[in-house]
Amino acid sequence: MEDAHRFREEDMPRLLTVQDLVVEMPGRNIKILNGVSFSLDTGQTLGLVGESGCGKSMTCYAIGNMLPHGLAQTGGSVDLSSNATPSKAGKPKISMIFQDPTSSLNPVHTIGYYLESALHRHQGLKGSDARMEAMRLLERVGIDRVKSRLRSYPHQFSGGMNQRVMIAHALAAKPELLIADEPTTALDVTMQAQILHLLEELKAETGMALIIVSHDLGVIARLADEAAVMYCGKIVETAPVEDLLARPAHPYARALIDCMPSIDASDLEPPVPIPGSVPLLDCLPHGCYFHPRCSRASSQCTAQFPSSAIVGPAHQAACYHPVAA
Amino acid sequence: MSTPILRTKDLSKAFGHKTSLFSRSHSFFASRSIDLDLAARERLGIVGESGSGKSTLGRLLLGLTPPTSGEIWFEGINHKDRTARDWLQFRIQTSLVQQNPLSALNPQMTVGKQVSEALLVHRIANRADAYKRVGAMFERVGLSATMMDRYPHQMSGGQRQRVVIARALILNPKLVVFDEAVSALDVSVQAQVVALLRELWQELNLAYVFITHDLRIVRHLVDRIAVMYLGRVVETGDIRSVYHWPRHPYTRALLASVPTMNPAVRNIVPPIKGELDVTKALHGCPFRSRCPFAIERCSSETPHLRPVGGQQVSCHRAEEFPQSITSPVAELREEIV
Repeated sequence: MEDAHRFREEDMPRLLTVQDLVVEMPGRNIKILNGVSFSLDTGQTLGLVGESGCGKSMTCYAIGNMLPHGLAQTGGSVDLSSNATPSKAGKPKISMIFQDPTSSLNPVHTIGYYLESALHRHQGLKGSDARMEAMRLLERVGIDRVKSRLRSYPHQFSGGMNQRVMIAHALAAKPELLIADEPTTALDVTMQAQILHLLEELKAETGMALIIVSHDLGVIARLADEAAVMYCGKIVETAPVEDLLARPAHPYARALIDCMPSIDASDLEPPVPIPGSVPLLDCLPHGCYFHPRCSRASSQCTAQFPSSAIVGPAHQAACYHPVAA
Repeated sequence: MSTPILRTKDLSKAFGHKTSLFSRSHSFFASRSIDLDLAARERLGIVGESGSGKSTLGRLLLGLTPPTSGEIWFEGINHKDRTARDWLQFRIQTSLVQQNPLSALNPQMTVGKQVSEALLVHRIANRADAYKRVGAMFERVGLSATMMDRYPHQMSGGQRQRVVIARALILNPKLVVFDEAVSALDVSVQAQVVALLRELWQELNLAYVFITHDLRIVRHLVDRIAVMYLGRVVETGDIRSVYHWPRHPYTRALLASVPTMNPAVRNIVPPIKGELDVTKALHGCPFRSRCPFAIERCSSETPHLRPVGGQQVSCHRAEEFPQSITSPVAELREEIV
């Protein structure tokens, strides 16, 4: 076990290494991401969790090199290196799926055109080969009557089916890393369970790594191996997901867990709100960004942002006063 | 129990639906034969997937859309018999809170003005008086009175939702319909609004209907719940009793679909396949096409609400399901077939 671990550390580069990533709005001195670091191995699932505006999605865009207009990466690095295809030149492939599948699909193209063009681009398939593969992919993601579906347009599908099409499209590139940005937030709870199960299955089948972004700790708990909690453009805690949920160290992680309403019949306590609100990125508080909302804050917290410290095996938190286990 | 402030009998709403431009219009029911009582100060939750008819029911209750058939009484007056004056009175006593606070607010008007509008329109207060009352209401919902002069875009999502709640409560209504009122908010803000609603209910003489697809939130906000599927109520009862032992396979599937924060529970097979299709009006039980436990009787005979355990359930096989919802469907099927 120990040896295997060392072997990976020394000889094989990790699939994805993000180091001190900074994304800014040039000229306005607003840091959307402020030194984000994490890494991911093949087959691993990382969950990014936090409130809106914390930089979860921006991290994904930066990894995919698709930052929106007006934002630029001004520091740090994103390194992708492929283990699976060392002979092949080039970077491992990344696919991405988004929150609102219906608006992510082009309304004037059929599902068939959409999938076949992706298969042509990524796998060089043409004509009936591409069509057969498109049908296989649609079947794989759980769509029935695939032959007629290829001629359908996105507006003829429900949100859940469009998300399945998005996933099929993502698979067409045979990605080594799939980034799922709030893939089930716009869906009903029954469809959410189906999509999460599909992602679980596909991950096991293809061995791809997965980054799942969600504000719902339930979704993170279900899919992720590791979880990273983000607040105002920084990762404040990373831990194996069991550890994070059982023994959160950062007061923000603790508060996020407490404000999730529980479905457990024995737990009748209403969710505990976090006081205050997320600060705006152009007027972040001095020191730790969470200190104005934190009950454990001291004068130390207002002086300087705490650096990440180890609080357990593979468990790090950026806090001067971590919550005791 | 006191006399209900709101009562519906056999309430139905049908919409026309065409499969193509030239085909005959088929109708499907967004609400079908709904019988409902709401006591003063009662809190009722309505849950179901999108397309189950929850929002239509909310609009029917407030008289915002006319029913195809059936009747609604509010404080003993039938909607059908209301005069213009009665309707005005009804509008003062009821209000609606919608999902997206940004689109519910006028972007060109300060939020204070928007909240005071109702007081002025109904001539309940003069300008100076209204200003004072709105200020007090702002404080009540956790905003500062100084925020009255702001425009919606100058506020955060949580603050805007508080404004919408303030606007809904400014006339001291007896009945409020919350339609997905917290669904668009972040979890931490959602928890704040949930806490606010619980407080407000304690203080005000208020009954409400809380419409949502979120089975986690609704549990902390209501006394009674109605689960809807294709326009019908399939299970209804005391919230604790329904969550303790859900009897309808649809309720069970909804509850089992909610992701728990327990990482040990993984790789569970989704409890039901497919999704709700409003164009497929079926004879018999509306849920039978997706129900893993459907038998012949389900297609020949439409189940009606009947008492099972502590609640009302419309399923022929309601008695057969065990208390635990986590047992995998396949196992359960063998056991009960």
